[in-house]
Amino acid sequence: MTFNKKRASVKQEIPTASMPDIIFMLLLFFMVATTLREVDVYVQYKLPEAVAIEKIENKRLISYIWVGKDGRIQLNDGIVKLEEIQEIMYKKRVELPNVIVSLRIDKESDMGVVTDIQQALRKADARRINYSAMLKQ
Amino acid sequence: MVQIKKKKERDAKIPDAGMSDIVFLLLLFFLVSTTIDVDTGIGLSLPEYIPIEEQTFVPLSKDRLAALNINENGDVLLDGEIIAIPQISETLRPRIESKIDLPSTKKLVVSVKTDRKTNYNLYIQALDQIKFAYAEVQATYAQQAYGKKMLDLTPEELNVVKKEKVPIIISIAEPEKVK
Repeated sequence: MTFNKKRASVKQEIPTASMPDIIFMLLLFFMVATTLREVDVYVQYKLPEAVAIEKIENKRLISYIWVGKDGRIQLNDGIVKLEEIQEIMYKKRVELPNVIVSLRIDKESDMGVVTDIQQALRKADARRINYSAMLKQ
Repeated sequence: MVQIKKKKERDAKIPDAGMSDIVFLLLLFFLVSTTIDVDTGIGLSLPEYIPIEEQTFVPLSKDRLAALNINENGDVLLDGEIIAIPQISETLRPRIESKIDLPSTKKLVVSVKTDRKTNYNLYIQALDQIKFAYAEVQATYAQQAYGKKMLDLTPEELNVVKKEKVPIIISIAEPEKVK
């Protein structure tokens, strides 16, 4: 007696036609979720490390100020002088009332420059700031 | 009659098997070329700018004030006593906790003052310690009052913890005039 294995007569294939659709969705997700870095940073900096840090939820509100090792200050896409910060930030603050200024300051900087920037920001009334820091491992 | 052989119909299909490969390539390109850099840092609200002539002196009771001074050599003083930076949070915590039930006009004010030559990293470390002390007190309070972690609180509860009970009041001292 022979046993005949019953085989389904249905084609055994995984439908791959919608595979590109799925991957397109992934692609779209990444395209929307990531923001391309639009500014070149001209200063070299190393951020300090901290534990009690928080994430800034709303990226659109952030405006960056970099301070490099050599003490140069970059705002938006160019190096600026200390005296110019107030005016630029004031304009920005008018456009975007609840702007958050993220300060990316080199950890070996002196507090002098930090204080000066803070004073400029206070005068420009852009008072929400965030000292950018990395999570201490 | 000559029978004209009907040409066999060609299969008119665009091969779509390689489609997913192409899309994969695109996906990989975007994955590699974009950077998700999360902005993390220590948030703070600067005080309003008031010209020196209009500044008024508001007396603060000694009991309310925790004055933190950092000089250019990296020495840290908390209320006049030398302290190591990692000890700041432990020292501050009981002081914050003791004022949980007091009205907002009696909460602790931490004042941070630095020299112009103070290292920025030290300042951030000190600020981090202060924030850490507050975060711990908030977490403990949330646990005691609601039996929940900070992340699980409802917005109303979070408001009570963060605004009413344990508000973070850090004062950045007015810089002194450079002599």
